Amino acid sequence: MILLQSHSRFLLQTLLNRVQNLEKAIELDHHWVEFDDVRFHVQVSMKNPHILQLSLSLPTPPLETVFVGGLPFGAIEAIKAAYGVTVQILDPPRDGFNLTLKLNLSKLPQDEEHRHTLLVKIASVREVVLGAPLRVILKHLASRTVAPDMNQFVALVHRPNESFFLVPQAEKVTVIFPMRFKDSIDTILATSFLQEFMESRRTAGLSNAPPCLWSQSPPLELKGATDNALSANAGFVTFVIFPRHVEGRKLDRTVWNLSTFHAYVNYHVKCSEGFMHSRMRRRVESLIQALNCAKPDQEKTKKTPHTRSFKRLSLKDSRTNSSS
Amino acid sequence: MANPLKLYLTCVRNTLEAALCLQNFPCQEVERHNKPEVELKTSPELLLNPVLICRNEAEKCLIETSINSLRISLKVKQADELENILAKKFLRFLSMRAEAFQVLRRKPVQGYDISFLITNYHCEEMQKQKLIDFIVQFMEDIDKEISELKMSVSTRGRLVASEFLKQFL
Repeated sequence: MILLQSHSRFLLQTLLNRVQNLEKAIELDHHWVEFDDVRFHVQVSMKNPHILQLSLSLPTPPLETVFVGGLPFGAIEAIKAAYGVTVQILDPPRDGFNLTLKLNLSKLPQDEEHRHTLLVKIASVREVVLGAPLRVILKHLASRTVAPDMNQFVALVHRPNESFFLVPQAEKVTVIFPMRFKDSIDTILATSFLQEFMESRRTAGLSNAPPCLWSQSPPLELKGATDNALSANAGFVTFVIFPRHVEGRKLDRTVWNLSTFHAYVNYHVKCSEGFMHSRMRRRVESLIQALNCAKPDQEKTKKTPHTRSFKRLSLKDSRTNSSS
Repeated sequence: MANPLKLYLTCVRNTLEAALCLQNFPCQEVERHNKPEVELKTSPELLLNPVLICRNEAEKCLIETSINSLRISLKVKQADELENILAKKFLRFLSMRAEAFQVLRRKPVQGYDISFLITNYHCEEMQKQKLIDFIVQFMEDIDKEISELKMSVSTRGRLVASEFLKQFL
């Protein structure tokens, strides 16, 4: 799986399970974290087995981002637009969470296909809520206007205490991600990945994709932002989004891809490290085998009292030796 | 650039063949102790001159011999940041498994990336020629492995980037 999908698989599975077993009332109370920044909580109590409560906790916004009523701007409208009357927003949300939704499982559409689509949309609640401000700006781009009372650049949160920047204009939107990683190895691997973004954009098939740039220093569009926002140990990635990237169905995909860009790069950096580990392990095995060849022949047809038996060394043996 | 590599490895191989003449030698200072003299360096009459073989400023190989033990230290080529961390990761991975390798030293000598310690006991258990083959093979393998790791990182990066950008088309 190279790309991250917009619906949370665990949530979708839980919802589908519940809907299929509506008669068997089971207590549900799950907490989980997605991509290291968003926390989810789902609860079904025995008293009302048809009511499912879904709570969402968003990453803490840094100083330059503004949350209205605990949610990014445009989030409540987006939720109402996406889910209609099937989902109710509970106010105030559950303690420790930014948003709580109440879903009545018995009131879902009877049609199998519609129900499935709605459940997938509910499982993509992260995309709807966190991506709401981005969606507003990009929708304006599709109609080639700029949203009213928009600053020169807008800061949106995507990770705890970190935000990315948008410079909305009538004919294009420039999206700038300052990339930060905690581990130094992650930083170096991510830097080489991000430089590849620039390289692969130049290939012929991708000339319609948004132009992307990587630079170590903050780009000019961010002049005037706070110094804290401008420190990034893996450089700055700039995408220029044109109206053709947000027409019709592409809007959802663009919103999802941009809001989980950092999670995407992080995921692939970790996969890369895992792959390197298994490669190194294989290489170690082959080197040890080469070393074992240096020992004299161990196959003896007759075991006489004068033959010494040699123990073939392998990693498993050495582990047991060191632990005993 | 295969030719300089071959010359370098041949030079290392010849030096090892000359240096790998180890015999058992109990410790002179302490009774009933048998220590690798190259590590302690207490008695100058038991040590031979160390040999430093340089391929270029970045890659070199130091071979120190004594009467009962031999120490080989290697410095691996690290062209840029990425190769630097890949080499460090890989060599640390190997050094932590030094027990399985027997002849590997857990910590590299100061100024080098990885070190081997071969004692007379190893020479008794293993054939000398094959041991030298192993060391030379090891040196070749490290270089190959690091360049392959680097290539896998850039290939993956390219794939990740093109998949991401294709989403926008």
